[in-house]
Amino acid sequence: MTGADPGQVFREEAAELLADLESALLHLEQNPTDREPLDTAFRALHTIKGSGSMFGFEAAASFTHHLESAFDRMRKGELAATTAMIGIALAAKDHIRILIDDPASADTAVGDGILARLADQSGSAAVSAPLHGERDDEESRATWRVRFRLAPDALERGTNPLLLLDELRGLGEAEIVALTDDVPPLEELDPTRCHIGWELILTTSHPRSTIEDVFIFVIDETELTIEPVSATSEPGAEQEPVPAEMPVPVPAMVAGPAVPKAEPMPEKGRAQPAANSIRVPAERLDDLMDQVGELVIAHARLKQLIADSVDLQIKSVTEEIERLSNGLRDITMGIRMVPVDSLFGRFRRLVRDLSQELGKDVLLTMSGEETELDKTMIERLNDPLVHIIRNSLDHGLEPAAERVAAGKAPQGRIHLSARHAGTRVLMTIRDDGRGLDRERIRAKAEEQELIPPGAKLSDAELFQLIFHPGFSTARALTSVSGRGIGMDVVKRTIDGLRGTIEVSSLPGGGTEITLGLPLTLAIIDGLLVRVGQGRYVIPLFAVEECVELPADVERRHANRNFLNIRGALVPFLRLRDSFAVRHPPDPYQKIVIISSGDKRVGLVVDQVLGDHQTVIKSMSKLHADVANFSGATILGDGSVALILDIAQIVAAGQTQELRREAC
Amino acid sequence: MAVTGTETFEALTLGLGGEIFAIDANSVHEILDIVPQTEVPGAPPLVGHLINVRGKVVPLADLRIRFGMERTPPTIDTRVVVVEILLDDEPTVVGLLADKVHEVTSIAGASIEDTPDIGMRWNPDLIKGIGKRGDDFIVIPDIVRIFTTH
Amino acid sequence: MAKTILAVDDSASMRQMVKLTLSTAGYQVVEAADGREALAKAKSGVFNMVLTDLNMPNMDGLTLIRELRTLASYRGIPIVFLTTESGTDKKAEAKAAGATAWIVKPFQQDQLLGLVRKIIGA
Repeated sequence: MTGADPGQVFREEAAELLADLESALLHLEQNPTDREPLDTAFRALHTIKGSGSMFGFEAAASFTHHLESAFDRMRKGELAATTAMIGIALAAKDHIRILIDDPASADTAVGDGILARLADQSGSAAVSAPLHGERDDEESRATWRVRFRLAPDALERGTNPLLLLDELRGLGEAEIVALTDDVPPLEELDPTRCHIGWELILTTSHPRSTIEDVFIFVIDETELTIEPVSATSEPGAEQEPVPAEMPVPVPAMVAGPAVPKAEPMPEKGRAQPAANSIRVPAERLDDLMDQVGELVIAHARLKQLIADSVDLQIKSVTEEIERLSNGLRDITMGIRMVPVDSLFGRFRRLVRDLSQELGKDVLLTMSGEETELDKTMIERLNDPLVHIIRNSLDHGLEPAAERVAAGKAPQGRIHLSARHAGTRVLMTIRDDGRGLDRERIRAKAEEQELIPPGAKLSDAELFQLIFHPGFSTARALTSVSGRGIGMDVVKRTIDGLRGTIEVSSLPGGGTEITLGLPLTLAIIDGLLVRVGQGRYVIPLFAVEECVELPADVERRHANRNFLNIRGALVPFLRLRDSFAVRHPPDPYQKIVIISSGDKRVGLVVDQVLGDHQTVIKSMSKLHADVANFSGATILGDGSVALILDIAQIVAAGQTQELRREAC
Repeated sequence: MAVTGTETFEALTLGLGGEIFAIDANSVHEILDIVPQTEVPGAPPLVGHLINVRGKVVPLADLRIRFGMERTPPTIDTRVVVVEILLDDEPTVVGLLADKVHEVTSIAGASIEDTPDIGMRWNPDLIKGIGKRGDDFIVIPDIVRIFTTH
Repeated sequence: MAKTILAVDDSASMRQMVKLTLSTAGYQVVEAADGREALAKAKSGVFNMVLTDLNMPNMDGLTLIRELRTLASYRGIPIVFLTTESGTDKKAEAKAAGATAWIVKPFQQDQLLGLVRKIIGA
């Protein structure tokens, strides 16, 4: 135990267990005869009860005890996992959470109510199943010959063979004989050494594993044989060792069930699929990531410093360092990756509760849950996704009657998916509801003067308007989605994660929202460019290609800036204008074509310097309001370069364009 | 007109725009020679540049802007004083440009006084007080306000 | 005469729990917060069993176990150590140092009691 507060450790563990419990309950509801979720739910309750009482969470432990008993009865088939039962269990789970996180605010009336409903459903009062030990019943008695010889130093290690014998005797009827053939003559006798072995004929209804359990602490050093015999055998009767009885260290001899893991407890609290995982405070991972980031930067500096060197040895070592630091970076980033399932899973409950509240029948499906994302991103995606799903449920999906009238199945569907696409993760939320009402959005946008009347906008551009603050076309504000404050906050959160958000929709066909997210927040692959005397990094994922700015286009400065690229017109933006650069431009400027949403824009720069992988440093609080930049980074020569916020720069350019059009 | 009332505190005195300023010594992390600066387009002029402080990206603040002083080019004595201050309860690191760094000294409460002679050509809100050390007047700026007000 | 147990753990809540569980069952419990304190108390007292965590300041559990085994009076005394589920590699080390048995954290009170009874009887 380190100095960590044990209560806090328990709370974290409990949070995970409660999440597992909820998942299992929801799964069980859909598959009432499935054994696995039932076992998972029971184990979670069992551990919470046990650890809870150990760490002083008495109220939670005693409340959970009743649930645990009920689930134990379900495991035994004495009670059915009905929908009513699941509902009670879900309510109980919420109550347990309160009892653990903020016991003072727990409402005992709520708790009592849940227990009363539980008692109703379970019929008689819940009886806790015995946790260890089996009943001694006539049908399963068997007789075993148990022979053991402890290691010579067993006594010095504190093992008391008499207690082992007592324990064996406690399992059933035993006749015991001491094996004294190894006892040396008195002059040579060392009382601290164990020279005596024992053999018993034990008749018991306990399984062989229970007999083996008696020896769990000494099994590695002990010669132990356990074999079934007929009840009329006598201990010590066999003089000639028969091959099956050769005293040989246990693992080779004990046939049948594998040697039990030497755990003193017959039941473990929770079986984890990842058996060898450890818990690490997230801050420690952040520190690790920081250090690795510094290493990447230091390496870049080293590389630059020796660029002109002819010393092959130094160059070779530097390359080695590069290989190692890249490897370390990849591993560290990997540690922080967590499957998206941990996020998606939470929404099952949300959709279930909301659909009940709204009286709509909705099925939530998902794919790609195993796709991994940086842990911090997962946390920050929770709120935006909740809002998007709520919107779908509330406004997007029609009530059953309306769906049927439109020729759709009465059950609405929401589908969550995640997949890797290059260096990004694409997450989509799709519903098969009404779809977005273009006319209403247009009308609202004109009303709020976001677009000039009669402006021609593509669908994608139109839909991006819903992310403006205060924009909500919902006719009725419901308690579920609230006011239209949500979508702009969603966008801001996604922007803050250096992500993108796109919307597509078909009238009557539903809406699909796609989030594009970087794999990690810490490191970026970027294109280094120079504008005037400053150097900037453009996130590589947004870059499509680089072209030269044709001289004739350059001349027509004040007019509309468009470029013809293989037949398509691509607007461009001069970064020197955006950054108010006074330095005269380079003779041959370059355009970096980037894509943001479905828009393609060219950014005019003086020079493209090459690609550059680097650690991102977040902007200081003092620069929080600076648009255009999402962070900074340190280049190989030690100087600072700013990272462009693509979405903002493009949006700023758009607004300029729209204003010009309106004139 | 002057702000009085602070007790003795340890301050790092530095010269800027012809005046002597006192910065709470406890907030000073380190003092650097002048380092390459990166301009931040669109940033408020007070913190218009970024510098690299041993791997950390830190804004560089030129207090002369807030006090309407002439911004002379850097000299061999120019330094950057890296301080950590609390803005909205968040510890924030920022570098303060200084023409010359003097020394750490105690500014005694008793010497903080009314100085009508100086003439408040600056916004009195930005100043915590004026101290005196020998013949020199020392300005005690209100760093937090300097960064949080416009 | 009640059996006496030396309980060593740097976590006060853990020591408290152990003391409560075992003293209610009739054992006498003496507490120590780290290996150094434990060794001092072991030398100046008589115990039927030592229960120790491994990860402690001022002398960790493994060192404590080794030190105890050099004392004549502690040869033959059961020493039980606390381990976590993932700490299986510690078991071999602890046994090599002279430990008798172990208990896996987190454990319930009845599990602790069962183990102590198994090791030293009632």
